[in-house]
Amino acid sequence: MENAYAQALWNIIKGGKEPTEAVHALHEQLKKSGRVSLAPRIARAFERIAARDHARNAVTLAVAEAGHGHHGQKEAAALGIDVADAIINIDPTLIGGWRLEARETLVDASYKKHLLAIYRATTNA
Amino acid sequence: MESSIVEKIIREIEQYAPKNESEHVGRVTAVGDGVVAIDGLSKAVMSEIVIFEEGKGKPLSDTMEVRAELYGLILNLEEDGVRASILGDSARVSEGMTVKSTGRILSVPSGDELLGRVVNALGEPIDGKGPFKNVTFMQVERQASGVMDRKGVSVPLQTGIKAIDSMIPIGRGQRELIIGDRSTGKTTVAIDTIINQRNEPKEKRPICIYVAVGQKESKTARIVEQLREAGALEYTIVVDAPASAPAALQFLAPFSGAAIGEFFMDRGQDVLVIYDDLSKQAVAYRQLSLLLRRPPGREAYPGDIFYLHSRLLERAARLSDERGGGSLTALPIIETQEGDVSAYIPTNVISITDGQIFLDASLFNKGVLPAIDVGISVSRVGSSAQTKSMKSVAGGLKLELAQFRDLEAFMQFAQDLDKETADRIASGMRMVEVLKQKNGQPLPLESQVVILYAATHKFFADVPVSQVTAVEKQFVEYMDGQHAKTLAEIRTSAVVSDESKKELNRAMEEFKLAHADLFTPAK
Repeated sequence: MENAYAQALWNIIKGGKEPTEAVHALHEQLKKSGRVSLAPRIARAFERIAARDHARNAVTLAVAEAGHGHHGQKEAAALGIDVADAIINIDPTLIGGWRLEARETLVDASYKKHLLAIYRATTNA
Repeated sequence: MESSIVEKIIREIEQYAPKNESEHVGRVTAVGDGVVAIDGLSKAVMSEIVIFEEGKGKPLSDTMEVRAELYGLILNLEEDGVRASILGDSARVSEGMTVKSTGRILSVPSGDELLGRVVNALGEPIDGKGPFKNVTFMQVERQASGVMDRKGVSVPLQTGIKAIDSMIPIGRGQRELIIGDRSTGKTTVAIDTIINQRNEPKEKRPICIYVAVGQKESKTARIVEQLREAGALEYTIVVDAPASAPAALQFLAPFSGAAIGEFFMDRGQDVLVIYDDLSKQAVAYRQLSLLLRRPPGREAYPGDIFYLHSRLLERAARLSDERGGGSLTALPIIETQEGDVSAYIPTNVISITDGQIFLDASLFNKGVLPAIDVGISVSRVGSSAQTKSMKSVAGGLKLELAQFRDLEAFMQFAQDLDKETADRIASGMRMVEVLKQKNGQPLPLESQVVILYAATHKFFADVPVSQVTAVEKQFVEYMDGQHAKTLAEIRTSAVVSDESKKELNRAMEEFKLAHADLFTPAK
């Protein structure tokens, strides 16, 4: 039940309602239906939805070594991807290059991917 | 040797043109029971193939160890994501895993290279004989041929089984259901039909595809061995989705078999596809549908269970001459519980197909093999494909057997029966013996015609019932040795001419004289 309340609250706020107002209205509704005890659980469910949404919309740029982020950002921008707010992660398994993950987009320009492609082409040929 | 490998690697590196393209992806949010919920992939389409990215965060050496990519099949498009079934080991999928869209609808390889091979539901070889090199990919879900692309069934598909070819004939392009309880010989009928195709001239021989759904691996291995020993594997492809395979693969296997067959049909060849069995496919589809949270209907099967089978079996067709004249004959198998043909799935498939061969457990237990109940078995379109020779000898057979079944109950009062009834029972008993056939021993058309001609001309009337099978065998051997010309004429002309009839009558007389000891006049 708390998930449904949290999702409804999320949708209302996403729809443009003031968060304080929305929370107040929800509290009143819970009071009316005798479900105030659900409030802490609704808060935790809301937190989970927010975290999921953040992760879903976050733009992550992974590079093999610290300091390579700038280079990756430049190349990604050249492909027309907005990486201004990208979170930069260090992933040494990439060997070199960069890998960008956004909502439904993936650009893998890592050396690992290219080496793997050559390996597969050679062994399958 | 070593330098050639180095050269090959150099060539691959030189030819490699790295592309940093944007890919459409989603992320696994939940996984369980072979089904995954994926967030994203908003542009994905139904039945699209997706790839699970397993190498993320793993060193290159570990990623290289993964030999085959793990695929998923999109089966549900939802408001904020999609649901897909995993076409492989679901233990390889974890939450948060990236899933890449391919834009490809599920396809399987087909071509001459597949003949004699065993493949899984994705068309990947599983017989250890190496990958395919020159194949054509066929879409697993394809619209069945339309009315204008088809023509009527007119060419027979010989099963080599006397009871079927004489009374329930099957034509090329037909859909004939084989139905019966467990262990009544359904698979045997299907396998004998495949084996019998070796009696066909090579240019007219149908390509055979045996689709094993939810079967034991040991059973499939035995069938492959049987086909190999009989020399039938060279024109057969086995598609195997065993009981241990994920439900998605069991549901897909018959469609893959049809897709592989359509390649040959489009090329103008004849194809025979056996779906063994569709009850297990229905169960796999029910499992998948429930996991995908589709609403359950009767017996918990989803609402589109009829469509699942009708769209598969509609793909059986005989194409018009403009489309190459190829055909795809379907022999689906359905397992019943306690002989109940009125259950949900059996009635569905009975209504879709062009007839059914019903195998009766009580006949099986009496030793009547194949245990075909000719009373309720029927072929709706096959009679127009039956050869004239067979028609001429098997015309009244079904009626005679039906009358015998009615009179059978009076057999215990044999002493009090009038002569006509007693004669009819005696003749029926012999006819039942004549129609008995051991498994793995399909008979060519001309031998069947000769046996049935003899049976309908009271040749076995003086043979004790227990000896009929042995006498029949000797008679066929005698005909093969002494009257090969007559057999050849029946085979090539597909009719029993007056000349052939005279020859057959003469042969029967000669055989009776030579083997007088086998014929004891009835008292």
